[in-house]
Amino acid sequence: MAVLKIENLIKDYGALRAVNKVSFEVHSGEVFGLLGPNGAGKTSIISTITTLEKPTEGTITINNLDVTRHERATKAVTGVVPQELVTHGYFNVEEILTFQSGYYGLRKNKEKIHSLMQQLELWSHRHKKIRHLSGGMKRRLMIAKALMHSPQLLLLDEPTAGVDVELRYSIWEQVRDLKKAGVAILFTTHYLEEAEKLCDRVAIIHEGKIQKQGETKELVRKLTSRHLTITLKNKVEYSHPALINQQDNTLEFRVPYSTKIGQFLSELNFRNDNILDMKIREGTLEEAFKYVLNRGEM
Amino acid sequence: MTDKSIKTQELIWTPFLMLLSREVRRFIKVLAQTIFIPAINSFIYLLIFGVSIGKNIKVLEGISYLEFLIPGLVMMGCMNNSFQNSSSSLLGMKFGREIIDIKAAPLTVQQIIWAMSLGGLFRGLVVGTVVFLSGEFFYYFHENAWLVPVYPFYFLLFCIIGGLAFTKLGIIVAFLAKTFDHVSAIGGFIILPLIYLGGVFFSLENLSPFWVKFSHVNPLLYFINGVRYGVLGVSDVPVNVALWVSLLGLLVFHLLAVWALKKGSYQPW
Ligand SMILES: Nc1ncnc2c1ncn2[C@@H]1O[C@H](COP(=O)(O)OP(=O)(O)OP(=O)(O)O)[C@@H](O)[C@H]1O
Ligand SMILES: [Mg+2]
Repeated sequence: MAVLKIENLIKDYGALRAVNKVSFEVHSGEVFGLLGPNGAGKTSIISTITTLEKPTEGTITINNLDVTRHERATKAVTGVVPQELVTHGYFNVEEILTFQSGYYGLRKNKEKIHSLMQQLELWSHRHKKIRHLSGGMKRRLMIAKALMHSPQLLLLDEPTAGVDVELRYSIWEQVRDLKKAGVAILFTTHYLEEAEKLCDRVAIIHEGKIQKQGETKELVRKLTSRHLTITLKNKVEYSHPALINQQDNTLEFRVPYSTKIGQFLSELNFRNDNILDMKIREGTLEEAFKYVLNRGEM
Repeated sequence: MTDKSIKTQELIWTPFLMLLSREVRRFIKVLAQTIFIPAINSFIYLLIFGVSIGKNIKVLEGISYLEFLIPGLVMMGCMNNSFQNSSSSLLGMKFGREIIDIKAAPLTVQQIIWAMSLGGLFRGLVVGTVVFLSGEFFYYFHENAWLVPVYPFYFLLFCIIGGLAFTKLGIIVAFLAKTFDHVSAIGGFIILPLIYLGGVFFSLENLSPFWVKFSHVNPLLYFINGVRYGVLGVSDVPVNVALWVSLLGLLVFHLLAVWALKKGSYQPW
């Protein structure tokens, strides 16, 4: 079921078209990755979903309700972790979470507040003012705020930027748990390995336009190749259209996903007793990403 | 949580009360500095104008200058602090990006405005009370009696209307301002002169006809005279006129605040 549906979204800032006819859906129980270089328009898309910015054209619906016309109903089911760190001058962690809970209509929510503080390891900092927290702690707090009302749709704008390894793993863990619980998750990141691990589907966006979107595995298969590295006992002079690198006895081939490895090997026609070692490396999302941005050689 | 399980009822009062409580708590955290400065200010005004120079100033028939001054100062403190509270709170939220929490939450424009307004009004009324008490102190010292408001209801009513109007003005300014300097500039160059010209320190009777005309288009004249009527039972403008103009002013400021929230920027620049 599509929780978030974006159709032909355009966002202009003056003369600059930051988002250009973007359409995608995020389904319940799915992690959708929005990938793109700096300035691609990811945050602008998220800002229009949360109504921080008004769309220039196009429609955004959450549970089939237009976000600009049904603000209360759509916001009540949405949680957001903004890209930029949020600070609060006067209040401590527990107070901020109490306010957040109240903004979503939840009174007497101490249990949830306490459990989130424990889950995100904010417990020992609960009486600290926000401006005395480190960057990573602030990020934890922002995540706790976004989860306070158990949203159906979670917008995570670079939640893992500038956090330590431990928190990164714990964010991944949380995202997987939320996904299992049926939450629809929109995730942006510059770490493509992370996106590959986490996202069921991705859209690669560049200069405001979606260049490619689809299932992560599918995209990698379509846009990249496997790399087959063979080390031979005896050096041979060899030429083959798929050969991309040769160093002494080691040959590296690019094998499209459409070709079976076995068939490829038999085409190469090496003597079995001449093969010392053989490795296959799968294509990566990073390669697919680079390919889309550069339309370059793989 | 499905769409239908969200009880709209809970989204009306709880978010509003929570934002209001945030505003009040913020004020309480800075209580000392916000009360101390206006208290000292009004003390100085009362000392210089009310007691020293005031002996020679004639205002309304049968009213001493000290009596005349006290309600004006109360209103000035109330309006100024109402304005300060909503504008600085919102601006702080903007620069800390906390405003994003408010915008992303299921709070409506009306809920935000009323929570910010009532929070600001609370501060305005607390400061107004402090100013009134220091006025009482001077009055007792001078006249050996307490200054008892003639129409306490009007006194409070006009304080509330004036304070609320100024919280809305604070909201408008915070949304349109690009820096903290803008806010203090608007405070210093527009609001303070309007307050002074609104008759805190003088009666229209003291003015030349040109300035009387000018004063009549200053909405603050009506707020201040309304309060004066509540305390002294007399004022420069009839209380009915003061009431209607003040309510109209409040409505205009409210609508402008709605407009500012809908059209204004939530970005910290
Ligand atoms: N409030 C704004 N006013 C004017 N231009 C803006 C505004 N916000 C973003 N832009 C511009 O819109 C474009 C897209 O910005 P956006 O923040 O959406 O990119 P992004 O994909 O999130 O980048 P990053 O990876 O750096 O976060 C950029 O060219 C940016 O300069
Ligand atoms: Mg961004």
